[in-house]
Amino acid sequence: MANVSLQHVFKKYPGKESVTAVTDFTLDIEDKEFVVLVGPSGCGKSTTLRMIAGLEEISEGDLFIGPKRMNDVAPKDRDIAMVFQNYALYPHMTVYQNMAFGLKLRHFPKAEIDKRVRDAAQILDITHLLARKPKALSGGQRQRVALGRAIVREPQAFLMDEPLSNLDAKLRVQMRSEISKLHKRLQTTFIYVTHDQTEAMTMGDRIVVMKDGFVQQVATPQEIYNFPVNLFVAGFIGSPSMNFLTGRIEESGNEMRFVAPNVSLSIPAGRFDSIRKAGAVNKPVVLGIRPEHAHDEAIFMETYPGGVFEAAVDVVEHMGSEMYLLMDVGGQALNARIVARSDVKVGDRVKLAIDMSKIHLFDKETELAIM
Amino acid sequence: MVRTKYNWLATVFLIVGAVFILFPMYMTIMVAIKSPFELAQSLLGIPARIFWSNFTQAISITHYGQTFGNSFFITFFAVVLTILTNSMVAYAIARNMHSWIFKGMYYYFFSAMFVPFPIIMLPLVRQMSAIGLADSIGLIILYVVYGLSFNVFVYIGYLRSIPLELEEAAWVDGAGRWTIFWRIIFPLLGPMNATVGILTALWAWNDFLLPLVMLSDPNQYTLPLVQYAFQSQYSTNYNLAFASYLMALLPMVVVYVVFQRWIINGVTKGAIK
Repeated sequence: MANVSLQHVFKKYPGKESVTAVTDFTLDIEDKEFVVLVGPSGCGKSTTLRMIAGLEEISEGDLFIGPKRMNDVAPKDRDIAMVFQNYALYPHMTVYQNMAFGLKLRHFPKAEIDKRVRDAAQILDITHLLARKPKALSGGQRQRVALGRAIVREPQAFLMDEPLSNLDAKLRVQMRSEISKLHKRLQTTFIYVTHDQTEAMTMGDRIVVMKDGFVQQVATPQEIYNFPVNLFVAGFIGSPSMNFLTGRIEESGNEMRFVAPNVSLSIPAGRFDSIRKAGAVNKPVVLGIRPEHAHDEAIFMETYPGGVFEAAVDVVEHMGSEMYLLMDVGGQALNARIVARSDVKVGDRVKLAIDMSKIHLFDKETELAIM
Repeated sequence: MVRTKYNWLATVFLIVGAVFILFPMYMTIMVAIKSPFELAQSLLGIPARIFWSNFTQAISITHYGQTFGNSFFITFFAVVLTILTNSMVAYAIARNMHSWIFKGMYYYFFSAMFVPFPIIMLPLVRQMSAIGLADSIGLIILYVVYGLSFNVFVYIGYLRSIPLELEEAAWVDGAGRWTIFWRIIFPLLGPMNATVGILTALWAWNDFLLPLVMLSDPNQYTLPLVQYAFQSQYSTNYNLAFASYLMALLPMVVVYVVFQRWIINGVTKGAIK
């Protein structure tokens, strides 16, 4: 067990068109913490993980696992285990041999290897598969074997590179909770890479959102969801994603309003100071509102009178327990998640109330949150 | 019931092809097991009884035991050393194609495929005898080295299909480069090892030219060499010649039957996804 620390880590690929894949990545991962690196393709999350594993060289900066600087230590001596996106099971070995391989190379006694492999197999419910070869396994079973191969090593840290992305949706949900359980059971540091924000939100103790090689925000799932620091994080985290309306902040007397075509919303007095401090008055801003914070029931019109507006419904999506209304608000799209009992139809003009205490404001130019 | 569709054109081609191969085979066997008298009566007919003395005579004339041993020694070591070394060379090149040295080696080996052997034959013999290797050992070395260009080409094509993640997984698991090659890559090269093994075995076993120019000691002669001598001396006795050919042919049939089971696709199946 150990903490993992990255200090001002860069990854630069030299060449004619030199590319910086990771820029100034700094993060302290506590012992036993489950940290998820999340971001779109090409954001540098896998590269960062591979640098921790030792599969990629660190161009600049320091990596510590425990107290030891690991930059120049070979992967096998870093005491980490990695689960690959495509499992990377040795096809000519049985499940047992696959799991035992790392221990054999480290000259563990036979009895100890057998005990560890059988224990891991039991945890993962793959004892009956030990004699099989990978080609005789389903995708989910292969994923478990890949996890098993990591578990038997009892490493200081587990690194997982999009381990669920090749599974079907149902299995992914199941394996998600199993990996979370595994983390609680093993009490080891987990560093997990995914492009799926749902996985990040459900599994991580902390989430690191990345884009174009830069860390955007590091925080707990709740904090990231409720207080995204910029437009990218706000749009990336949450499903369906946050709505953005571009408009201006207008101040008159002791009132401040967000004004956009067909919308004029009253901003809660508690936000005035921060808006003035950011110099956002009379300037273009982006208002962010999550779909679940727009309501169509009468009681919300009374509760949030300052947040009421009208919009035409373009698309109605019935999800069973709830429904999504995709609307046009003065030329800007807005998605609202409302209760399923509503009888709204396509083409209707509906009145909605926004919970103004839940709005997010972003500077249009810098895209940073106005906190 | 589902009716199986036949591709009649392909089937006819296959039958014709099979006849072209099987007919000479049939003739070889027939001539080998007939007495000269029966051969004079009918070329293609089946003999009343097998004339074993063709074989016993051929064995004594060609010193079959010793020559077979020579051929076997050369072929066995040529095959084993070729597989072990050529796969290693190919692995080094395949995984370092970004380096100009390895890329250069790749094209160097590749271009060697287009050099006709007779052009380099005599300088080569002079060179080998100058370093005292104009014998079986030298012959084995030449087979291993001369196979490189084609074998490296074949191995590299296959190595590219082996996912890099397998090596990375082994690396994280604690394996070094050497262990990764022998424990992960080499077993996965099975189909290519079989292909290279069969081709090298056929080449080394049947080769006439290289042993002819390289071997001066008659005690080291291989089967094709003694058959040549035998042919010129006893050209009238086809029965003996064919009995000797048949005996030389059988080991290669066995090699093929044993190795071809390894040439199967999908060895890496299950590695990824």
